Amino acid sequence: KQHLVATGESGEVRRATLEDVKERFEYLKRKREDEKSREVVDLTARIEVAVE
Amino acid sequence: MAHQADAKKSLDERGYTGALIRGDNPLKLFEKAVRDRIVDSYYWKEQCFGLNAATLLDRAVELTFIGGTYGVAQKPTPFLCLAFKLLQLTPDKEIILFYLEQEEYKYLRALAAFYIRLAWEKDADVYTTLEPYLSDSRKLKRRIREGWALTHVDEFIDDLLLKNRVCATTLPKLNPRLFLEDEDRLEPRVSALGEELEELDHDDERDSASDG
Amino acid sequence: KAWDDDADINPEDEVDDTDGVDPEAERAAWKLRELKRVRRDRLAIEEKEKEREEIERRRNMTAEERE
Repeated sequence: KQHLVATGESGEVRRATLEDVKERFEYLKRKREDEKSREVVDLTARIEVAVE
Repeated sequence: MAHQADAKKSLDERGYTGALIRGDNPLKLFEKAVRDRIVDSYYWKEQCFGLNAATLLDRAVELTFIGGTYGVAQKPTPFLCLAFKLLQLTPDKEIILFYLEQEEYKYLRALAAFYIRLAWEKDADVYTTLEPYLSDSRKLKRRIREGWALTHVDEFIDDLLLKNRVCATTLPKLNPRLFLEDEDRLEPRVSALGEELEELDHDDERDSASDG
Repeated sequence: KAWDDDADINPEDEVDDTDGVDPEAERAAWKLRELKRVRRDRLAIEEKEKEREEIERRRNMTAEERE
């Protein structure tokens, strides 16, 4: 373990709190919603192009 | 507080200093053969390394099926790998409850339920925490040994409370509900069917009476 | 029966986990599953009661025989 600490990779991960978890969850949810709405926009754009 | 990113140290019998479940290293809740397959898997090495209870969500929200091991090589599912990761992290109870209670991701709920059944030591708590989700009728895809099957959140919960083996794992002993009721440690379960139950019961009896 | 021992095997694309395709049918299917669970639990209680009565009956019998 000593040499890992020396290379800056201790192999340790910070333990998450409930707040961290909630924050990450909201972030992932927003990301998914954004992706969904972008898909809808894409689709409408494509339909408009097709109609023209 | 911090923990090791890798599982090797957690599985070293002498070096283990982490949280205990039922007086033992929680990772030992999985059988040795399954543990070895998880630790050797690509998903574990590439996708689970260095996760904590917050970043684990990145993977958990991408889950598209539950299951234990599959195929000739008995490959572990991502679901099983993440459950193993949770046993390594032993997150605070409130975090696990957050996973369970959220509505958006049904596979995350299933993962939390599986963890609770494995890790919680008080039988009555396991029943009262999981049973409300017997009313969650959402579909779950399940990887079976050679193929796929359809199940539902409520069925999965029921399996966790009733069966001995779920997802390639022998579940820790759980006293039957009736036993706990007799000991006054648990109130009888109230079905989410509510008043509908009587109606359904009646309809059914009438049907079977006319059949016979 | 073991969790992994299912006989009905489907290819991945035949198993669709999309919810809300037919909400009424999905709700009805859940009701049936829940009804089965409730009945199973009730049956277990009845079985246990019967067992208890049987033990009681035997206990009384031996008491009579002793007289």
